[in-house]
Amino acid sequence: MVATAQAPVRFTEGFVEAGGFHIRYLEAGSGDPLVVFHGGGGLRQFTTHETLAEDYRVLLFEVPGFGDSPVNDRSQSMANLALTMGAAISALGIEQFNLMGTSFGGKLALWLAAQQPERVTALILAAPAAIRPESGGTALPPPTTDAERLARLWAHPERQPQPALTPAVIEKQQALGRRVMGPARDAALEALLPGLQVPVLVVFGTLDKVIPPEMGRIYRELLPNCAFILVYDAGHQVDGDRPEAFVALATDFLQRKMGFLVASESGLRHR
Amino acid sequence: MKAALFSPVPYTGPAPRGTWPVPGNTYSAEVAEKAMQDSLEQFELADQLGFDWVTVAEHHFAPMSLTPNPMVMAGALTQRVKRAKIALLGANIPILNPVRVAEEFAMLDTLTGGRIIAGMLRGTSNEYVTYNINPAESRERFEEALQLIKHAWTEPQPFGWQGRFFEYRSISIWPRPVQAPHPPIYMSGSSPESAEMAARNHVRLGFAVTTVPIAKPSAIYYREQAHAHGWEPGPDDVLYRVGIHVAETDAQAFEDVEPSNSQPARAAGFALSNRVVDDTAAGLGYYGRDAATQRDRLQRGGSLRERIANGQILCGSPDTVLEQLKSVRDELGAGVVDMVFAGGSRDKNLKAIELFGKHVLPRMHEL
Repeated sequence: MVATAQAPVRFTEGFVEAGGFHIRYLEAGSGDPLVVFHGGGGLRQFTTHETLAEDYRVLLFEVPGFGDSPVNDRSQSMANLALTMGAAISALGIEQFNLMGTSFGGKLALWLAAQQPERVTALILAAPAAIRPESGGTALPPPTTDAERLARLWAHPERQPQPALTPAVIEKQQALGRRVMGPARDAALEALLPGLQVPVLVVFGTLDKVIPPEMGRIYRELLPNCAFILVYDAGHQVDGDRPEAFVALATDFLQRKMGFLVASESGLRHR
Repeated sequence: MKAALFSPVPYTGPAPRGTWPVPGNTYSAEVAEKAMQDSLEQFELADQLGFDWVTVAEHHFAPMSLTPNPMVMAGALTQRVKRAKIALLGANIPILNPVRVAEEFAMLDTLTGGRIIAGMLRGTSNEYVTYNINPAESRERFEEALQLIKHAWTEPQPFGWQGRFFEYRSISIWPRPVQAPHPPIYMSGSSPESAEMAARNHVRLGFAVTTVPIAKPSAIYYREQAHAHGWEPGPDDVLYRVGIHVAETDAQAFEDVEPSNSQPARAAGFALSNRVVDDTAAGLGYYGRDAATQRDRLQRGGSLRERIANGQILCGSPDTVLEQLKSVRDELGAGVVDMVFAGGSRDKNLKAIELFGKHVLPRMHEL
């Protein structure tokens, strides 16, 4: 229903009950599950997800309170919201899974992995918002138009046309974000990170205008099993800005975990 | 103003001209060894006389320059040049491994206690044949390599790089640069694309193989672009490379230079020694949007007087050369002049360096 005509993979919509919420998700592909949590702008499906669905059973969850779902004024913290999402995944009969989160969804994913580490096979954090500069991040004023919003998130917005959000949806999503996002440095979360053995890939775009890419180094310091990778010429929407580069990286990591540090492609030019 | 002494470390024996790559069948190891010692001698003398920098460069497969890896030559200089900065102008980063370049610069900066100037050049069209890289991608490779090298120098945690042309899973270099946050970076900037890139990346700009009238609009454009990116270049941000000869009198200096200036191959230079290579690279888009100007500046010849008037060579007595340097400063805002001594023989060059050091350098430093 959402997939474009030329896309090789078709996502289908489903709903699952968890924590008293009626939670929407989009699903495509088969294989090991890859659960995806979106950023603060809400659930957007783009080519990255379609390509990942060629190798994985990709589940794009819509966090309650985002998109067309009712206002969520019950989730009081990221930790709490993460448990709701964990319950939604369980309700689909999925015990173990790969997990990926972008920005807001990155913090949500990290909270889920920190609370239920035995369930997460590998974790990809794309421009995660779990650790932010205490000064408040970039000095840029908040974007006011849809074009500005896209330009803030994407280095190449023209590559991934996105439907505009209505002001009411933006306000609803932002209100939830403000309530659950927590401080720039979340001591409760960071205290759990040194003991988290899950392999973690932290990815930032070199052109991120929302969260400085050098935040990635703090995850590398705190997590015992973490790789920090910069995607050149990508913005905050690093999972979609250079989709081929991102998917190649993510797939290699999901397949080989921290072994992906060692090149495995042949350099042979001619036999 | 600051003075730099540049030697491409030329091979001094007979060798074929007007071709590239140059066959090695007339090569003499003995001549090459002597040529390297001659250049080391020049660098050492310049250091003793108070030159601000000594400069080495990267060129391949030709007797014009025996430093295909300027890092190696700079490594030798760290043990001979005690005070001057050592400039590498540069490493041709689009054809190299950027992580290796970052490591080598950091080693040199450590060996010198922070006296390295890190030039990063795109290289002439023929350099792309050297390591079999498509020159059409030279600018994109350059900018990505530049940013990767800066990250490699400054990122305290191991990091990977998912680029367009370069891909690394884990980088954490040792040693790291002494200069904080990193050594000064120069790039070559005759074309509008280069001036834009330099301004965008906040790096310094160097002009070489050009004339003052050709470089002038580029220097102005660089300042405009830098202003648009929120910063203002100072004198150290603009470098001009030029040939030079100094003698006791103008007449003597002109007489010394005239014979070598009349050789047409000298003016034709390096990139154009293989016309097929350069034409093909041009056809692939190597030269960018003002290709005609860029190719034209590589083959500017002319009489000695015309070349002096255009700022292609500084030539004359110490007083005359000082006036020529002032003109370069006034026209381009250049605060660094990178000079190749072109007196025609080892002894004339050493004498010219000495004259320059004693009678021009103190007054140049006042400018």
